[in-house]
Parts: sequence; C-alpha cells; structure tokens
Amino acid sequence: MFERFTGEARQVVVEAQEEARTRAADEIRTEHLLAAIYIVRDNLALAVLDELGVEEADVLRDIDRLHAGSPRALDAEALSSIGIDLDEVRRQVEEAFGPGALDRTRAALGGRSGGLFGHIPFEGPSKKALELSLREALHLGHDHIGAEHILLGLVHTEGGAAHHVLAARGVRLEPARAVVEKLVRQRKAAG
Amino acid sequence: MSDATKVAAAASSRDPAVGLAAVASLRGLLESLEELQVSNARSQGWSWQQIAEALHVSRQAVHKKYRRYGF
Repeated sequence: MFERFTGEARQVVVEAQEEARTRAADEIRTEHLLAAIYIVRDNLALAVLDELGVEEADVLRDIDRLHAGSPRALDAEALSSIGIDLDEVRRQVEEAFGPGALDRTRAALGGRSGGLFGHIPFEGPSKKALELSLREALHLGHDHIGAEHILLGLVHTEGGAAHHVLAARGVRLEPARAVVEKLVRQRKAAG
Repeated sequence: MSDATKVAAAASSRDPAVGLAAVASLRGLLESLEELQVSNARSQGWSWQQIAEALHVSRQAVHKKYRRYGF
C-alpha cells in the first residue's frame, strides 16, 4: 500500500518506527506516527497543524504523557513499600553485570517482541490510520499520499491515541480536510 | 521485620493503588533479574536443563522464553 506514498510520507513511517523503538514500545502506535510528522519537519502536515493553530510543544507534551505511566517502569516508591530498596538492587546488579545492566534488559526496555533491533509491528489503529490516509487522498482527488494525508488518517482514526491528542487541541476532521485541500491546491498553483 | 513479613504486609495493603503498584514493579524487577541471570548462566556454559532446575521450571518453559534472545 506504500507505492503512492511520497518520500516525505515514507519518512514519516520510518521515523515512527524509530520513535516507537526510542520509547521502548512494542508496537508502532498512532502517537508515534504523529510524533514522526514533527521529526521529519518540512512537510505539508506541519503547515496544516500550524494553520489549525496547533502548537507543537502541546502535542509533544501530550504524547510524552501517554507514555509516562508505562507499566514496565520500575516504581522505586512502590517497591520501598514492600521493603525493597531499588537503588540498592540496582547497585548490586551493576556491580556484577556492569553499569546500566538492570535497565538495559529486554524486559526493562519493554517487550519480548520489540527488542533493540527487531521489527516492530504496527498496532491495529496505526494500520487503520495508514489505510485511511489512502482513502483521504482519494476522497480529495489527490494522486499522491503525503504527510498531510497521514495526518488526516490519524485524525480520522478514533481508536488511536493521536486522534485524542489532536481532538484535545481542537482538530476536527472536516476543517482539517478543508485546510489540506487548500494547501495542496496552493502548492500545485505555485509549483 | 523480615523481608518475607514485609512483603506479606504490603501484599495485604488496604490501599489497592499501593499494593498493585508494588506487585507490578516487583514483577518487572523479577523479569529483569531473571533475564540477567539466565544470560549469565548461558555464557558460563550452563545447559537449559540446569537453568530450568535452578529456577524450578520446565526446561521447555525457560528455553521457549529465552532462546529468541540468542542466549
């Protein structure tokens, strides 16, 4: 399904995988695709978000919050409530296995399926968002799928976290479509 | 109070938020420690059978869980 993706859009998909890996996620989720739009930079999706008055800092902070409560993070306070001193455990483990040993295990990095180098699969809503980006492009009569269509796919996919992050900033599907339509038309006229 | 008594005390904590967070973190810690120890045992030449016996689990269980890591 990636044949019609522009170079930019492909880059977004690649960076989303990198984002998932960095965040020790075992799946590529919609918020990773959204964060990737900001990593790739020069793309029409950013212009759309800008036009809709969405602040980059707000979106990135909301994405960070989604990951904050990761169940895999060791909670030193909770462990101390059962008499386990995490700092002491970490110190002993590092003495035997080297600096960072406890935090570098696959278990700590989040996932039996992910790992550091392995392939990270797309979660259901991410797949859906990419499929919908194709449909959004067709709907607007565009013959390419760019970052701006991925953005529409993310807004459209209600089951994904990106939809909720964007909705919280006032992004709705219809107005977003209208801005994409306008900006693509302007770019064509200019180019 | 011995460690076992403390664990028992927290496991029966009346505040679920405290008790469950402790259990979740303990599980995470357990997984990391097990992985480190299995990796170390393999690099010291221990067989899956020996590791399984020390962990009180079946050889199949430990092999299935860790072979994909290339230990």
